[in-house]
Amino acid sequence: MMNNVLLDIQNLSAGVTGKEIIKNFNLAIKEGEVHVIMGPNGAGKSTLSHVLTGKPGYEVTKGNISFKGKNLLEMSPEDRANEGLFLIMQYPVAIEGVSFMTFLKYALNAKRKYLGQTELSAPEFLKVIRDESIKLGISQEMLKRAVNVGFSGGEKKRMETLQMALLKPNLAILDEADSGLDIDALKIVASGINDLRDGKRALLIITHHQDLLEYIVPDFVHVFADGHIIKTGDKNLALELEAKGYTDFIKEAQC
Amino acid sequence: MLDLLKNITLENDNIPALASLRQKGKAAFKGLPTLKDEPYKYTNIQSVITPQMFSQKPHDCGHEHCTCHETCLDFAAHEFHFCGGRLHEHFHFIEGLEISSLKEALSTHEATPYIGKFDIEAFPLAALNTALLDEGLFIRISKPLDKPLALIYNNKEGVTANIRNLIVLEKGAKAEMIEIFEGTSTPYLTNIVSEISIAKGASLLHCKLQNEGQNAVHIAFSNVLVKSQGEYQSYLLSKGAKLSRCETRVLLKEENAKATVNVAYCVNDEQTADITTNIAHLSPFTASNQIIRGVMDDNAHGVFQGKIHIAPDAQKTEGHQQHKALLLSSNARVDVKPELEIFADDVKCSHGTTSGDLNAEELFYLKSRGIDEKEARKILTTAFLNTAFEEIENQNIKAFLENAL
Repeated sequence: MMNNVLLDIQNLSAGVTGKEIIKNFNLAIKEGEVHVIMGPNGAGKSTLSHVLTGKPGYEVTKGNISFKGKNLLEMSPEDRANEGLFLIMQYPVAIEGVSFMTFLKYALNAKRKYLGQTELSAPEFLKVIRDESIKLGISQEMLKRAVNVGFSGGEKKRMETLQMALLKPNLAILDEADSGLDIDALKIVASGINDLRDGKRALLIITHHQDLLEYIVPDFVHVFADGHIIKTGDKNLALELEAKGYTDFIKEAQC
Repeated sequence: MLDLLKNITLENDNIPALASLRQKGKAAFKGLPTLKDEPYKYTNIQSVITPQMFSQKPHDCGHEHCTCHETCLDFAAHEFHFCGGRLHEHFHFIEGLEISSLKEALSTHEATPYIGKFDIEAFPLAALNTALLDEGLFIRISKPLDKPLALIYNNKEGVTANIRNLIVLEKGAKAEMIEIFEGTSTPYLTNIVSEISIAKGASLLHCKLQNEGQNAVHIAFSNVLVKSQGEYQSYLLSKGAKLSRCETRVLLKEENAKATVNVAYCVNDEQTADITTNIAHLSPFTASNQIIRGVMDDNAHGVFQGKIHIAPDAQKTEGHQQHKALLLSSNARVDVKPELEIFADDVKCSHGTTSGDLNAEELFYLKSRGIDEKEARKILTTAFLNTAFEEIENQNIKAFLENAL
């Protein structure tokens, strides 16, 4: 059976006011696929994740994005999330005075409400949280702490992975999810992500090196330069890129 | 306003101590403060106190149909109720506690050493309170109490609830107290003065919810004396009333006396909330900390005036103050006047104040997890205000204040 197209980006141009960063960008992701966008630091890869999640301050000047057949650009950030889009952030925000427990409960119930489901009772919620947090090596003490306040890079990414596990998105975007992680943390996050692969859920991994790809095997690797994809290949492209370095690779590709 | 005082007849003038205090109050009261008076330059009290608020005598509503007795607490406490400016005098024996009406304590002279321990000339509304002195509680605590004390005030239209409470903690005593102020949506005035005396090694946790009706005026002044190794912890949530002014003055009189004065205030529509603190470090090794958080929406107005005074011989003292305000609308405003007055050289003091809108990154983070704008703003403002209550040890009282946000 053919899998459906989940995310379809057509001729997208976007950026911050007065500066176009993404130019004529095209990408289609089907259910179950793992796509990787690789490119040098500062090439504007993160702009793509910001535009997809609807972060204020980014402007779309051209093109369309459809997600599950709906016009993504017309949706609020919260509706995009509830519709099934999830971003593992490069720098998750710390929020004083809000415990992870409280935050997760609001997030989970927001999605349930959006889907017309009843809110979880306190015991149901605790059970769900416990089951998922054990898998990621997250202690009860960490859950009681304020959101990302005083968390190490690895702890923050584990908490992001927990949120993803709870919210069960259709498409998860990992924006430099491996930055600032040591090898152990990287393995935990990668295994958390792999656990969620069910043949339907799709992943878009945005990264500038291929460390994470040793643990999560991609279906497609795209090289991002000058605001769009200049070459697409399979997992071997990532290795080629790593061996040659971006500068030479991009020079060759553009010849 | 002076004329207005003339028309008020008070009972119990036959109690000499009461009558003489009233005379002092009348002499000291020169009218309501105006914006020209420095301590009131941001808060226009005169414009909101109307003769109508003095039109009804304090009166209780008759017990059968009175809902003000019904507890609003979800934990056990020794409750005392004021209704329409009147104290319900139903006292039962409580181990470690001596309690009576103010009138009773003045007629037996029990209250004499503890009343009027500040310069009423400097506090016009406390002078007014003294001129109209009638109702209040005298509470003396000699041992740690089994349950918190809860003082619950329910005021109504046209009444000035003029209340003076004296709270005395004897050597080594420990107590927890919560005060709750509520009332009708029609105009009334609450003008309360609390005189608190904390003896050597004693400690008081004093929590307060100011949730007066939307057209009410709430004026509160607490004068707190703390002796050696005594501790005063005050946590206030001020959210009700058309205009409120909650003024707390703490005198750390002897070595190792400590005070915490934390406040969360949140106002909207046309409300004004004035938080005024004055912590005087009068001896060495004294310590104070203030965490103040304010949220203003719509056309609301916040005022924070906080003073830390350190006397010349109060070496090795620590005094900290931090005020943060959130302005959620372009018409909301806050006036801030922090003051450090330091006459000793070996001290650790700090103060800081900020104001701004909610953090856009935090807001987006919540929204990117599916939480809608309205809910996300509520989560963030509640968390912001809750910082003032983080250190409350009594979990019941802490939860009560947090839930009242």
